[in-house]
Amino acid sequence: MGIPSKRDLWVAFLWAAATVAAVALSDNVFLRTLLGAPMVFLVSGHSILRAIGVRTTSVLQHLAYAVGASFAAGIAGGFALNAADYLTPLGWAAWFWAVTAAAALVAAIRRDTPDLPAWPARTRFRLWQGAAILLAMFVATGAYALAVSDEAAYREFKYTEFWLLPSISGESGRITVGIRSAETQPQNFDVEITLDGQPLAVLRSIAIAPGDTWTREVPVPALATRQTAEARLYRPGDNRLYRSVSTLVPRI
Amino acid sequence: MMLMMAAHFTAGTRISPLKAGIRFISAIIGPDLRGGSADAPPQRASCGWIAILGLTVATALLLVVAGHGAGRRGYEMAPLLFCSGVILLVVPTSLRIAWPTTARGERLCLLFLLSEALFYCKKVYSPTSFSGYDEYLHWIATQDLITARRLFLSNPLFPIGPTYPALEILTTAIVDLTGLSLVVAGTLLLVILKGTFIGALFLFLESITGSPRISAIACLVYMGCSTFFLFDSSFSYQSLGIVLCVLTFAVEAAPNNLVGLSRLKSLGLVGLLLASLAVTHHLSAAFAAIYFGALAGLEALRRHDPLRFEARIVVSFTAILAIALPFLWMQWRGIPLAAYLGPVIGAGLNALLAKILGAASPMSEHLGAPDKALYLRLTTLTALLLLALGLATGFFRSLAMAAPSGGRSDWRPIQEIFQRRWRDSRLVLLTLLAFGLPVSVAFRLTSAGWEIGNRMATFVFIGVGLVVAVSIVHFWQGRTPRGWRRIAPALAVAVIVLGGVASAAINPIHGRYRVAADQESIEPMGIETARWVREWLGAGNRFTSDRINRLLLAAYGRQDVRVRIKTGVDAARIFEAENLGADEFWALAGSDIDFLLVDLRLTTAPPVLGSNFQPWQRHQEKPLSGAALLKFNHIQGVARIYDNGWIMIYDVRGLHGNP
Repeated sequence: MGIPSKRDLWVAFLWAAATVAAVALSDNVFLRTLLGAPMVFLVSGHSILRAIGVRTTSVLQHLAYAVGASFAAGIAGGFALNAADYLTPLGWAAWFWAVTAAAALVAAIRRDTPDLPAWPARTRFRLWQGAAILLAMFVATGAYALAVSDEAAYREFKYTEFWLLPSISGESGRITVGIRSAETQPQNFDVEITLDGQPLAVLRSIAIAPGDTWTREVPVPALATRQTAEARLYRPGDNRLYRSVSTLVPRI
Repeated sequence: MMLMMAAHFTAGTRISPLKAGIRFISAIIGPDLRGGSADAPPQRASCGWIAILGLTVATALLLVVAGHGAGRRGYEMAPLLFCSGVILLVVPTSLRIAWPTTARGERLCLLFLLSEALFYCKKVYSPTSFSGYDEYLHWIATQDLITARRLFLSNPLFPIGPTYPALEILTTAIVDLTGLSLVVAGTLLLVILKGTFIGALFLFLESITGSPRISAIACLVYMGCSTFFLFDSSFSYQSLGIVLCVLTFAVEAAPNNLVGLSRLKSLGLVGLLLASLAVTHHLSAAFAAIYFGALAGLEALRRHDPLRFEARIVVSFTAILAIALPFLWMQWRGIPLAAYLGPVIGAGLNALLAKILGAASPMSEHLGAPDKALYLRLTTLTALLLLALGLATGFFRSLAMAAPSGGRSDWRPIQEIFQRRWRDSRLVLLTLLAFGLPVSVAFRLTSAGWEIGNRMATFVFIGVGLVVAVSIVHFWQGRTPRGWRRIAPALAVAVIVLGGVASAAINPIHGRYRVAADQESIEPMGIETARWVREWLGAGNRFTSDRINRLLLAAYGRQDVRVRIKTGVDAARIFEAENLGADEFWALAGSDIDFLLVDLRLTTAPPVLGSNFQPWQRHQEKPLSGAALLKFNHIQGVARIYDNGWIMIYDVRGLHGNP
């Protein structure tokens, strides 16, 4: 026996309206996910199923069809909103609200709307079974958190980034030199900068800890001809050239 | 089975060896369904088993995570951890699902648990981002859509992608409505897709076989498909396409929608799903068109059904929709599908024919296959042998299920099929579809046809799952099996699922960096360099580089990456030669490329997948030379603006007088 009620249509309509309100008024990701994700995956498709009058005989069947119909509604929405030049968060919320409301209205008006499928017989959980499932969820979530932290912590390559660019502020007559460390130990560096082969600046004993970024803007004479600036990074510890970069200084 | 064979052998006093042999083979592969019924009396789901298996699966996932962690560090114990995790995940759950007396609800619950757990295993390879090459392509396309708020933007890395934007549309809808990040929204979508796929496949097979047990085992066997674990779980259009495809089949075949007005209403839903499929994925849409076309053909051939006229009309209309909608979409968008898929299919067919006929094989066939661990190969091979055994013992039984006299033990049901008398055309079609497995395997044995064989498997395994499940239920287990017949077939199914994991990738465990090996080449240094580019050079610069760094620059760096320097000049030409020839120099100088990114790790080993820049390149058996990649140091007008010891970025704007 199915469930003859049409109250689900009201719930769908209100859900869609609440989603529009949440998208318009809130930046809270939790609230918006709680309302928005079911709109994309289920609620709109459920209303469409009811509007078409497709009869489903089990909850699994209803859910599977509703997900499929929701996908169809979402995909159609993408094209419609693109045509209306309204592919924005509010555009999406309005689209799903419109689809859900229109489908719910059709389903509410028609007389032969099929009953909802009956819920499966309730299964009794014992305490230990519930505890075991909770523990399983805890272990799986913990394992995922472990995977995330392990991915962030482990780096196969240890390296130091070194760069030389025309000024990031866009000013002519300046160049930017930078160092960023992805090493495992703090390191000291010396930097030498030349302009067309002539010494321009020397920066000694720059201490960089792992994860740190060091940058410096260096003034250069602005000329009408093209000049090449070159920067060399030395490690005083072993007195060797570690990195070398260059840039073309913009003409005035 | 032994009892049945004994009956055959004791039936007569003297039997010639030939006749005995024929009877023996007939008893094994013949259409005997042993009375027809497949399911034990209905039972209640056991929450105890679900709880215990949930805990087992969680422990298994912890081992898998540990395996990836060990793999990242290059520890030798990584395969041990990973494999023990996957075995612990698959074997107990598969045993319970395939157990003859398990309740329908419990089978379903465990199927969802297993499929989502396998997705979890895939996801923890790269838990905070996407990992596969195709995933990056769709990730970039979705970022473009979210940024520009417009569809059909061009994508040089994936020219056909923007014309099938359904996945990107749905992900954008989730991102916009929820405020979640793109990766989280995409992952949430994939979780739902995985569950929907298993639910829809179960419903589809249950509606045509009438047996939850056969359906559940068929779903389990489907997980042994080489694309289930990785390819169809990736953030890519086929993952949505196959779900829409199977959902369409399930709606069309549902018994509550097969008569009268219900049929027309369900046709409305089928139409919606087919229209969505047409704009989602070309191959899935093509498969749906082939399926419904063949179904209409079988309905036209079929005799002896009082409802056949109505059935014919509806199935024919569905077939017209399934064929016309993708075709119209292609015509409207001007999709060059033949140019996109034609060369791949042509090369695959040529390679396969050359192999069969013993002719001189094409150049592509001289490539060495990428190295794969022996235990992975052995698992795949064992799974394949078990599948072959299942197909051999299940093929005629599956056909017999479709025959009006399916319960008989002789060959009468097969005769009826030949006389075009069957109850359900879908069952006949899926059984015939299982023939695709040997074809798919044959393609996979060639380098050029590997891609075709792999993609075919996604669809062929729907039939394979059905036939193998019928074989297990009606031959290997029977209705109430005892002893080894309870456990051995269920274990065989578990091995088939393990084979699916083993055949999914060259190395499913996260390992150390390897050159040009798609997801195995993506690691933090490349990602950080791409982020540096975005931070210090801004978005939208025109970049070119090798295949992997191009992806990272587009995804993390939001750069405008180019596969070609200019028309007719591939990026590979300027990177591979030790000196920049005049043609290449003038091509670069005359192009609008702003920056080149050079990765010296390409000099450490030959490319694992054969090419550093594009798959259509000539296979490279040697690593690139350092001199080739560093030649830009000595070119007037080119500045090396970034250097991290491995990766260098060259500013080439000076070549076009525009520094």
